[in-house]
Amino acid sequence: MSSQKTERLINLTLALLATKRYLTKSEIFKNVTGYSGSAETMERMFERDKDELRSMGIEIDVKALDPLFEDDQGYLIRSETFQLKGNEFAKDELLYLTMAANLWQSTALGNDSKAALLKIQSLSGPIESDVVNTPEIRDSENSSMLATAFDAIEYSKVLTFQYNGSDRVVEPLGMYTKTGFWYLVAKDENSFKSFKLLRIEGKLAINSKQNGFKKPENFDLMQYLEKMNNETVLLAEILVRKEQAFALRSKYVVSEFDDDWDLMVLPYIYEPEIIETLLWYGENLIVLKPESLRKSIKYSLKEFIDG
Amino acid sequence: MVDTAAIRALRTMDLIPYILENPGVSIRSLSERFSVTEKQIESDLQLVFMCGLPGYTPYELIDIIFEDGIVSVIDPQVLDKPRRFTKSELIVIALGLEILIGIGSSNPERNQKLKALSEKIAKLGSSNSVSFTPSGNNSIYAELIAEAISKRKNIQIRYSSLVKDQITDREVAPQRLYFMNGNLYLSAFDYGKKADRIFKVDLIKQCEITGTKNSEADEETNESLRVVLEVKKSHRNFIERNSSIISSVTENKDSFNVNIDISNIEWIRRSILSNAPGISVLSPDSLANEMRQSAASVLALYQAEK
Repeated sequence: MSSQKTERLINLTLALLATKRYLTKSEIFKNVTGYSGSAETMERMFERDKDELRSMGIEIDVKALDPLFEDDQGYLIRSETFQLKGNEFAKDELLYLTMAANLWQSTALGNDSKAALLKIQSLSGPIESDVVNTPEIRDSENSSMLATAFDAIEYSKVLTFQYNGSDRVVEPLGMYTKTGFWYLVAKDENSFKSFKLLRIEGKLAINSKQNGFKKPENFDLMQYLEKMNNETVLLAEILVRKEQAFALRSKYVVSEFDDDWDLMVLPYIYEPEIIETLLWYGENLIVLKPESLRKSIKYSLKEFIDG
Repeated sequence: MVDTAAIRALRTMDLIPYILENPGVSIRSLSERFSVTEKQIESDLQLVFMCGLPGYTPYELIDIIFEDGIVSVIDPQVLDKPRRFTKSELIVIALGLEILIGIGSSNPERNQKLKALSEKIAKLGSSNSVSFTPSGNNSIYAELIAEAISKRKNIQIRYSSLVKDQITDREVAPQRLYFMNGNLYLSAFDYGKKADRIFKVDLIKQCEITGTKNSEADEETNESLRVVLEVKKSHRNFIERNSSIISSVTENKDSFNVNIDISNIEWIRRSILSNAPGISVLSPDSLANEMRQSAASVLALYQAEK
């Protein structure tokens, strides 16, 4: 790779960044080192350079300088779109940002975490690692897909994968976590669905260019989640043996039932989930109400014994 | 992979504000931070000497000192501040802040600052298509434990074990805090047990920092028991949650056969019972029988009671 081109790209960026007024192409060709050759060659060089910088996320502003001559356009880079401000974050905020980015260092999001840390340290200088001793996040295998999914959502790219044994081609709209697992919300054959990332089989692949689909205007992730969580809460009345089930006792109030048992009421939404919690305590817990829950527990146990 | 000119140009421009804030940084440390070879960093820095603002007199060029493997910037020109965060960097930061807010509940003042910061990050354009909820169990001691790890101090904890259903007091040397599947865990050396143990941080009911860490840890080798389970597909949650201790999984039509090495028999008993009838024991037979018996005695409770 020729360093000449790199040098020219840097010089062009610096010039566009430093200028207070829009620079015309001829000013750029005359003043920025690296542009040479015929007018046509320089023109082509400039167009390519501009596209490349834009594809790297640098915003170059264009303005027609003379309404009568469309060719006469001016260019500049606004500092606020390119750089962070020196006073953008207070000292303690920089520390928190470091801690936040640090969490992800050893995960599939490690590259973004590292890049963010570099920028933070370019504002703050070195931060003593002692003060930022935060937990790390240990990857469960699904997060190797996170980066792909984030990218697809951000740039509206179509995703393909296998799920429950069938091939899916979906339009990804959002991601959320629930009890520690990541879910992808996507439009699949005209309806919105959640996919547990861990259950995606085979490769999570991007199958279109940027803006490969149009985001539905009426979709809002927060509303979608709210609707999903808006379920009725049921109450279970249970007996807990004395000196047992400490984890439940630390969350819910008990009252004395008799010499051996205490009474507890606990809320639940989804029956299989509460059964799992309750059976964990084996003989130290009995469900009194509701009858449907008692029935399900008895049924589960019978099934288990009969194998 | 060879960098394109644009990637190299961005990296070179990123180097300047970093060196400016970290004067006297070594080439080696730059190469680690920027994930390229030392040679590449040197050649990027050589390039900087040629760059600057139109005019390109010595006054308008970026000025750096580059000597004995150490770098400082004298005049950064316009590159005195880092580039803005990209979308995905903002997501990583925003998610991290959510976690910090989740574990910092013991410090309302700090949490208020974190929340304000998180709004600021949202305004910078962090995505509204990602929602991260750390499973909210308030771990009020997370900060204290992190402090103990930094200072290499022991902690005295009162731990409410979910597996043994007991509350015990222990002295441990904390080693590492980590998140897995949304829960915060502490791995620590337990002096009483003379072995490494893993604690779920939200089950730590009391915690205080005690002495200095005693590094002589005579480790006890945990003997483990190989258990083979059949897990119905409807209960694959069990496999997903415990992937770190499962040694192999084979798929059947409606179920999975799972080989798992257990060092804590009480844990597997409770897990099997609570997933009934989704998990059955294929081997050892002794465990299979034992499990059937304990299911029978729970069932008996329901049949006896009024």
